[in-house]
Amino acid sequence: MIIVLFLFGLLALVFVLSVVALGLVSSVSVVRSIIEIIKNPSLGLISFRSLLQHRLRSGLLGAAIALVTAGLVMVTGISVGINDTLLTSATTLMSGHVNVGGFYKATASQSAPVVTGFKKVEEIVKREFPEVDYVAQRGRGWAKLVSDTGSMQAGIGGVNIANEPGMKRVIVVKEGNIDDLAKPDAILLFEEQADKLEAKVGDRLTIAAPTFRGTNNTVDVTVVAVAKSVGMLSSFNVFINEQQLRKLYQLNDETTGALLVYLKDIRQVKVVQERMREVLKTGGYTMMDPDPRAFWMKFDAVNHESWTGQRLDITTWEDETSFVKWIVTILSFFATVVILILVVIIAVGIMMVVWISIRERTREIGTLRAVGMQRRSVLAMFVTEGFLLGLVGTVAGTVFGLLLTTGLNAANIQLPKSWQFVFMSERLIITPTAFWLAFGVLFITAIITAISVIPSFLAARLKPISAMSHVG
Amino acid sequence: MVVLASLPAWAELSKAEMVKLLGEIDDRQRNGGDYKALAYLEQKEKEKADIVREVLIFRRDADDKLMLLFTKPKSEEGKGYLRLEKNLWSYDPTTGKWDRATERERIGGTNSRRADFDESRLAEEFDPKFLADEKLGKFDTVKIELNVKPNVDVAYPVIQMWVDKDSHNILKRQEYAASGKLARTAYYPKWQKLFSESKKADVWFPGEIRIFDEIEKANSTLILFKSIDLSSLETNMFTKAWLESKSR
Repeated sequence: MIIVLFLFGLLALVFVLSVVALGLVSSVSVVRSIIEIIKNPSLGLISFRSLLQHRLRSGLLGAAIALVTAGLVMVTGISVGINDTLLTSATTLMSGHVNVGGFYKATASQSAPVVTGFKKVEEIVKREFPEVDYVAQRGRGWAKLVSDTGSMQAGIGGVNIANEPGMKRVIVVKEGNIDDLAKPDAILLFEEQADKLEAKVGDRLTIAAPTFRGTNNTVDVTVVAVAKSVGMLSSFNVFINEQQLRKLYQLNDETTGALLVYLKDIRQVKVVQERMREVLKTGGYTMMDPDPRAFWMKFDAVNHESWTGQRLDITTWEDETSFVKWIVTILSFFATVVILILVVIIAVGIMMVVWISIRERTREIGTLRAVGMQRRSVLAMFVTEGFLLGLVGTVAGTVFGLLLTTGLNAANIQLPKSWQFVFMSERLIITPTAFWLAFGVLFITAIITAISVIPSFLAARLKPISAMSHVG
Repeated sequence: MVVLASLPAWAELSKAEMVKLLGEIDDRQRNGGDYKALAYLEQKEKEKADIVREVLIFRRDADDKLMLLFTKPKSEEGKGYLRLEKNLWSYDPTTGKWDRATERERIGGTNSRRADFDESRLAEEFDPKFLADEKLGKFDTVKIELNVKPNVDVAYPVIQMWVDKDSHNILKRQEYAASGKLARTAYYPKWQKLFSESKKADVWFPGEIRIFDEIEKANSTLILFKSIDLSSLETNMFTKAWLESKSR
């Protein structure tokens, strides 16, 4: 076992050193080629004409590069799409950009995920943080929804719809009116839940849950709106009027589940989170130890701790969605692996093709060298061929990929149920971004250019006399 | 038993007499010593297969100790509950973890609660109120309402009970959520008695409890008590280590 590990390690070391050496040689050669092309622009023209002359070979290779680039556009677009959907649905359904949550423990063993005296906390947040766009209070619960024909467990969000501008922007109501959530006995369901409970606008449902002291309680609600799905998270979240949630859990008006803080710039999340922790600590609040998990995953740990009273917990939207974030990570990993394999295949293909091209053109190289062309000019000529092929192929692939994603987005493709879990959405959403498009073009072109250096280098080293006498 | 003997006069009882009466209903079911029973829990839920669980119940009423150990089916084997100093702990041998549960939590995912297996504490937890004399099938019963006392935590804060005037057994219980909505109806069709050496008197036990979910109408739970034994249990068995050892 140790020997196998040693051999494997040695192999890995050799591979890494080879890549580094190749990278260094390629970089130096590419830089030399660029200088040569600047000095002698006609070399670029020769390369271009050579590609045109061998249009079948160039076409096939260019098409392969274009396909890989289009694949990269698709894969990165899907990955960004999933991330965007997750961000949108998470920050609408269950989290602010930053959250002031926490637990209140009446006894060591009884914990409730609430913030008592939240109005004072809200005042501090609004006063001390100019980065804040708006703050919404959100009741949190987990209860059973019962209709005449079915039942299901769901996360219950208690909202004051007047204070939730983001929610009204994101949730698309299919039936009913989202503003009716202002009515005391209102509930908003998503399509999937409405189907499961066979409920429509106007129907009465019962919500049953134990209060935080363990007494069973119920509230009767009326469906005021059925909304379109907002990704996977909407399959287990519903919204009711905040007063109704207080009634269900027997909470007073000074208590809420969490303060959802929305920032003007989401990139400031980490900075605001850290500072908020300090500011509230200075304000006399006891803070929970940082724990980057969703609040409902902390019950076990909190119930095992001996403290009582209120402790606050500052989390980000990423913490609150950590239980689904692994899907995005795994998907991105597999996408990267697939793209890298394709790039390696294409790179090997490029090297072989340039190699064949050099074999075919050995006599031509000999003649050029005999009439005075320098070695570095020969190198520059062949490297330029690889560069041009890569650039044209990747640009064409990017355009093709963009057209494909536009078409697929427009087709509004409904995903099978089992896929919706992975894609966080009921339909396929591909979001190509300028960064990933530019990355695709530059990365693949750079790889192809670098890989064409090896055969080009060998071509440049050919002696004119032996090249001219080459037969084949 | 003196008060119970005069059941037809419940309507005229003072509050103190009602409380005393409730205490006597508790006392009829109280053993004072150790208790062991084998029970079966059958859970019926809409669009789900019926599940039957076999469970061993151990009690030491003098110390308020209670332990439940699931023995069947295979998937539930070794799971259990243990009450230690007012905390109810649940144990899952697959993870080897103990979780603190509330005393009002559903037992084994069924609609049964800890109170269904524990000794009766109605007088301790509730204030009684006479409602009516009622006929329940062929039985003459008295219907009383129990309201939870302040600062006492129970699963259902309001209970209505039908007590058989002849046998003085509870025949029916309806339990209400804090909102006032009827949540659970339980029937007690069979009662059995055993002579208790520790009490030096008969102790009454329900042989069967049929619980109907009034919120999800299609769901129900049946608790069937078998082979009740009042002899002494091992001294140190009400421990986490003992329960864990049963799944090793």
